[in-house]
Amino acid sequence: MHPIEERNLLLTRRHFFSRAAAGLGTAALASLLASEARAEGGLPGLPHFPPKAQRVIYLFQHGAPSQLDLFDYKPGLEKVRGADLPESVRMGQRLTGMTAYQAKFPTAPSVFRFAQHGESGMWLSELLPYTGKAADHLCLIKTMQTEAINHDPAVTFLQTGFQLAGRPSIGAWIAYGLGSENQDLPAFVVMVSQGTGGSQALADRAWGSGFLPTRYQGVKFRSGADPVLFLSNPEGYSATARRRFLDDLTGLNQIHEQQYQDPEIVTRIAQYEMAFRMQRSVPELTDLSKEPESTFALYGPDARKPGTYAANCILARRLAERGVRFIQLFHRGWDQHSNLPRDIRAQCQQTDQASAALVQDLKQRGLLGDTLIVWGGEFGRTVYSQGTLTAENYGRDHHPRCFGVWLAGGGIKGGVTHGETDEFSYNVVRDPVGVHDMHATILHCLGVDHTRLTYKFQGRHFRLTDVSGRVVREILT
Amino acid sequence: MLPPPAGAPNNRLGLAKWLVDPDNPLLARVTVNRFWQMYFGTGIVKTVEDFGSQGEWPSHPELLDWLATEFVRTGWDVKAMQKLIVTSATYRQSSAASPELEQRDPENRLLAHGPRFRLPAEMIRDQALFVAGLLYEKIGGPSVKPYQPAGLWKELAMQDMDYVQSQGNDLHRRSLYTFWKRTIAPPMMVNFDAAARETCVVRETPTNTPLQALDLMNDVTFLEAARFLGQRMIREGGANADERLRYGFRLVTARMPTAAEERLLKGDLQYHLDYFAGKADELKAFLSQGEFPCDPALDQRELAAYASVGSLLLNLDETVTKE
Repeated sequence: MHPIEERNLLLTRRHFFSRAAAGLGTAALASLLASEARAEGGLPGLPHFPPKAQRVIYLFQHGAPSQLDLFDYKPGLEKVRGADLPESVRMGQRLTGMTAYQAKFPTAPSVFRFAQHGESGMWLSELLPYTGKAADHLCLIKTMQTEAINHDPAVTFLQTGFQLAGRPSIGAWIAYGLGSENQDLPAFVVMVSQGTGGSQALADRAWGSGFLPTRYQGVKFRSGADPVLFLSNPEGYSATARRRFLDDLTGLNQIHEQQYQDPEIVTRIAQYEMAFRMQRSVPELTDLSKEPESTFALYGPDARKPGTYAANCILARRLAERGVRFIQLFHRGWDQHSNLPRDIRAQCQQTDQASAALVQDLKQRGLLGDTLIVWGGEFGRTVYSQGTLTAENYGRDHHPRCFGVWLAGGGIKGGVTHGETDEFSYNVVRDPVGVHDMHATILHCLGVDHTRLTYKFQGRHFRLTDVSGRVVREILT
Repeated sequence: MLPPPAGAPNNRLGLAKWLVDPDNPLLARVTVNRFWQMYFGTGIVKTVEDFGSQGEWPSHPELLDWLATEFVRTGWDVKAMQKLIVTSATYRQSSAASPELEQRDPENRLLAHGPRFRLPAEMIRDQALFVAGLLYEKIGGPSVKPYQPAGLWKELAMQDMDYVQSQGNDLHRRSLYTFWKRTIAPPMMVNFDAAARETCVVRETPTNTPLQALDLMNDVTFLEAARFLGQRMIREGGANADERLRYGFRLVTARMPTAAEERLLKGDLQYHLDYFAGKADELKAFLSQGEFPCDPALDQRELAAYASVGSLLLNLDETVTKE
């Protein structure tokens, strides 16, 4: 942001609070918080143009799902089954240390059948029957590319636009730029669920705020007694007692404020009130017991178990209904270096129905039009088998050159398959989409020009898309 | 920019010589500016990390230069520089501002009143432990693992790498010694804006969030500290409630409460005495936060009520603010 705008924002906030401070009771203050939330919500001048999407639900498939077994239909591979990957395809590109020293790189066609879905005839694997039914709402990008070949830098790159740790995550950028629509909930919420197989480590930085103030970081919702850390009062201490505690705290803070005239004190009083409201609003939000049977039928049996991907998808919808700006799920366990057919099937059983249900559910509720859903991992997987290839079994190593991601909802054309890979799903033949392109496109749907959402740090104006990024206009409505 | 000194070798020694060359004003300026930020919350040059053409102009250029030259003149004496700053008339001003000053200079860049800014994360925790009488002031040794909500590591780690909490006094070491896993940082530190340790950060941006409120109210670290602060009020504060409340308030804020503040504290104490009356189970649960037990001989209802007041004191804006 320009320093003068930053200054004006601060002044607005300070003046608001210094006016609000004088002699206000808690109740009156609480009612003022609505305008406070608007006053603090995002940067002046944003969105840059009318947005198609008001919020994003990003379903991050952590560990990197295989595009060859889900999205990128390559019937020709059966003819070259077991043959070494031709050097003309690999062209000396680097491999990970896990397969670089394999004696052979046997081509492994997918064991899964593919079929066409929807009016557009989108090719999808049999592992995704529910996603197939939603095909006409989806835009499948087959040509996502990344620069990273290992999990942590690849996740960091997708989340922050840079492979090295330290920059703000996409959700933090959006919370910073656009603020929140809901005064009782954070602008950026994260939920993590466990997959079936072994999982790669995930780091808090994936939803961190980097050099942005930490108030923009993702707030993790967890399953269990404390959906947000430190949300619950200690055992034996009731909400009534907490209310009294807060009234006394506010009283003492107000006395001090009158003497010291520091607007930060008034802000703190307001933040305690928001904390109190979160103590009511978050458990109400995460309690799925009042959801009708039809919801669980839609999202699948897993949805009844707190902490599962399916349950988190329902929560994502509930957060979207409440105007949370950026909702991100991480589902772990897609890293199938071996026993891929068995393990990816289990992963899909956990995710396919709920992902598609979310699209359908938002559609039914009239929310799909202004909610952007993104589904995808951090890279793709190799066409050659890691380890021994048999008729039924194989593994796949990391592959950054192409992978599949789908988008749906606010601002995105449905029933579109974008981009083309070569016959080995190894290189992009047409319409590559880089990580910065994806970010630029997401921001565009939110009405944000990715080159103009910047923050000055260490003498430089940083942005999510670093020094590149092209809005993929072909897939926009 | 100053060229390297003539004949300086092209290595780290050359860099060092260039840095401390009497003709190079930058090192001393940057250093004293960091000290200034430590005490005033904002540097004389606000962009402490950037003295280049993109950095902000100093609010008091002559002062910056004088401090820098004093620093060099005294032989780069760090301790003397702290003394010079903290004994200055500017630093010793009250932090209270008038509405007029707040209007004219809301950021107090002209220092018409003393600094007022939120304490860093580490100090907030250390201070709570200290006023509770729990701080274990051992110096050095390996890092320790104080209280942390269960499962945080396990949820994100590769295998079953779970957090194994320290025992005994190691729960109460200074936050400097808290074990820091960069991928899953201690949540209280993150909530209060400690740098993530992933890039070099010389200026933390203090924020003011509801998560901080929840942390101070419900984190076992602060609940245990509140309980021990309550115990101190009862044991050391005096014979009656007035004296005990005054003692507790003074321990935490380093000043006596005003009459209005005393009234509020007394009302809060009475409310909690009533609240815990006849609630044996609630009382027991509330008093079992944290691993260190309080004196079982004390009246437990009274202890719980004073612990609540202790928590109130630890949550005051004034408590987490340097003024």
